[in-house]
Amino acid sequence: MSHAQAADRNTAVRESIFKRHENLTPLLIFVGFILMIVLLQLKTQGLAKYPTFISPVNLLNIMQQVAVPGIVAVGMTLVMLSGGIDLSVGMLASLVSIIIAQGISTWGFGVPLSITLGILAAILLESLMGFIISRTKVEPFIITLGGMITFQGLALLLSNSREVILNGELNFLKVNLIQGSKDPVTGLNLIIPPYVIIFFFIILVAGLVLRFTKYGRRIYAVGTNPNAAYLAGINVKNMRLSVYVIMGLLVGIGALLLLSRINVGIVTLGQGLEIDTIAMVVIGGTALRGGKGSMLGTLIGIFFLGSIGNAMNMLRMPSEVQFVAKGLVVIIAVSAGDVSSKISAFLARRREQALARKAVSARPAVDGAE
Amino acid sequence: MGQILQLRNISKTFPGVKALRGISLELNEGEVHCLCGENGAGKSTLIKILSGAYQPDEGGEIVFDGRKVVLNPHLAISLGIQTIYQEHIVFDTLSIIENIFTGSEILKGMILNKREMRRQTVEVLRYLKSDLDPDRKMGELSSGEQKLVEIAKGLVFKRRVIILDEPTASFSAAEIETLLAIIQTVKQSGIGFIYISHHLDEVFKVGDRVTVLRDGQKVSEHGMEGLTKSRLIKDMIGRDPSMFYQREKVEIGEPIFEARHVRGQGARNISFVLRRGELLGISGMTGSGRSELMNVLFGSARMDFGEILIHGKAVRHRSPKAAIRNRMCFLTEDRQNTGLFLPQNIAQNVASANLVNGREFVVLPSADVRKGNEYVKRLNIRTADSRTRVVNLSGGNQQKVVLAKWFNTNGEIFIFDEPTHGIDVGSKQEIYQVMVELLRQGKAIIMVSSDLPEVISMSDRVLVMKKGEITAELSGADITEENILTHSIGDSVI
Repeated sequence: MSHAQAADRNTAVRESIFKRHENLTPLLIFVGFILMIVLLQLKTQGLAKYPTFISPVNLLNIMQQVAVPGIVAVGMTLVMLSGGIDLSVGMLASLVSIIIAQGISTWGFGVPLSITLGILAAILLESLMGFIISRTKVEPFIITLGGMITFQGLALLLSNSREVILNGELNFLKVNLIQGSKDPVTGLNLIIPPYVIIFFFIILVAGLVLRFTKYGRRIYAVGTNPNAAYLAGINVKNMRLSVYVIMGLLVGIGALLLLSRINVGIVTLGQGLEIDTIAMVVIGGTALRGGKGSMLGTLIGIFFLGSIGNAMNMLRMPSEVQFVAKGLVVIIAVSAGDVSSKISAFLARRREQALARKAVSARPAVDGAE
Repeated sequence: MGQILQLRNISKTFPGVKALRGISLELNEGEVHCLCGENGAGKSTLIKILSGAYQPDEGGEIVFDGRKVVLNPHLAISLGIQTIYQEHIVFDTLSIIENIFTGSEILKGMILNKREMRRQTVEVLRYLKSDLDPDRKMGELSSGEQKLVEIAKGLVFKRRVIILDEPTASFSAAEIETLLAIIQTVKQSGIGFIYISHHLDEVFKVGDRVTVLRDGQKVSEHGMEGLTKSRLIKDMIGRDPSMFYQREKVEIGEPIFEARHVRGQGARNISFVLRRGELLGISGMTGSGRSELMNVLFGSARMDFGEILIHGKAVRHRSPKAAIRNRMCFLTEDRQNTGLFLPQNIAQNVASANLVNGREFVVLPSADVRKGNEYVKRLNIRTADSRTRVVNLSGGNQQKVVLAKWFNTNGEIFIFDEPTHGIDVGSKQEIYQVMVELLRQGKAIIMVSSDLPEVISMSDRVLVMKKGEITAELSGADITEENILTHSIGDSVI
């Protein structure tokens, strides 16, 4: 017994630092990435008329760019932690933007009612998918894929396959909250619109809920082991449903903000949103099989992916190359986490073997007993 | 009849455990050799040696057709030794033909010779007097029919030895008769069978010879003539006294839990009363419906009929949530898959079952860790602190985490399903002590166990189950290996 005890203690205490702090891997890659950018920046500093990467104006820029996908990524984190996935968010965002735009410009519902209608539609449609996913054994991948195609069709029907143009009715969502302040480096205007604040508020609340409430615990429990969760008295079906309802709310908000930025409701508005948000979430260390990950990781993932596009624009790389870079980042970030945990498992096994050998040589095998 | 297979002086040692000691065994052509013994007697280990999955310790010999062989899984199959395990290892979505030939397809050049594979399958099925359509998907067949296909596979590939491990575990009575008839037919062709079953009726119907194992040793070998069931049972019992645990007795109080005519998941007409301070053992062979009954009582499986009373009041458990709120606890048999959240730490696991109790919305991780640390200390879980992930703990310590998880709900009716399965001797004793401590606090325990010494040493009363029904209630001096075995395997229902 004593050597089992020793082995227990050993593997328990000396886990790889990567394994214990799951956010560390993406964070390290992110830091490496920033370092690389800074180096490149130093080389190109002569080109003073371009804003540099690490300057207040550019950092605020990145925040504006990631706010909407970031809000949806919060929902995606919850869904993926519970063991699900949602491929429909992009087309749902398009559909919602068209509903709101049509409500304001064609149907004459007025701004508040149109916004309410759009967000309720998002919640309803996500709840429907969540209902099917939680009550049947069909893969969420398939259901939400079907949802994505359906929403695309609905969006095209509602807009007659055309764009719905707004006359700035939603501009209140992008007023500059710090009007008049200038970047000390470049002298350009600094902009913080309300939706950036909304994004930070949402991710903060979600992070706190996930970490400090019973609801958060149950999401992790359901994602880690649904059987054990059920036997621990957790209503697994309703938990699975609830994350899609929340997702609906967040997609609704995201679509509204997207619409306010672009002022046009169109079916391509949310295109690729599902890819970006899933990429952000997995870069942040959330596992596709559920139960593993955190909001902090997702925050890192959001800024990581957002910075890549921004930095490469700054270095004037073509958008084609950006796709390749984003894709590689996803692959590297996710495999790095796994490789490091494999290495630490290997080291733990070696230690255990050494301990077992020592124990065996010290004391001959006990005969008998079960 | 010639001898096919001979085992000489086979032993097998695992770290800390001697699973087999000096077993010798023979099998002749056209013979059905039955192996009997309690759970843990060494039957499974012996089969794994025959199928090449385990190597015997030095000094043991396996002789096949007069030649000494060192078996590995590949060689075992090429010599013609086929093992048919209790759990079906089949391809559900493939047809009967494809299941038989997957891995050893008949080819015509580069492509599959489907006609020849079909011809051989049909021929064998006809020989087995079966009217199964060879194109049926394996997943559509009953477990009896699936066994038949596996035996058919043995015939197609002209195997010499077929090993059947508990083949009738999930069979209907008619299917058992069919299988036994098939074995009688097939053995005429010279194939030797090793047949493992805890249903003594089957052993008497189909066997030509019986070997009894106990605690890894061969106790006896009998021909069928003049052999009686009670003789076999006597050989199976009488285990080493060191395996029994001396338990302190606790005063038994008022009834706390009662089941009346409960039916569901194969369990039928189950009635019993459980009192404070009492440990009710439930014994019976695997497949007797014990675990299924526990799921019904806990609300994790549907109850078709009957009534459950807690403190004399009728309750309905539509889900485990309701049962937990009625202060029930269920320590499942398969703790890794249904009891624990392996990637999470001890503190999170301990808190998990208590999430349904209480109204507070906010829970602080630091409070959970503090509580987890209390249990680490109290239950002597061997680790640094409660932030250790459960996946890194040994079996015994994992079971203690499951205990802590349920203690934390403040439950008072405990169901333990195989509480010490796969746990080292030291942790076993500790878990027994914890169970006695629960009884002393006036809580009550239902303990399902296949480990007879455990049932006998721990229980105040024992219910014996067979085929979903209670066949006996034993208490006091009547709780003996002989009585339990007689009621769980002895008498015939079919």
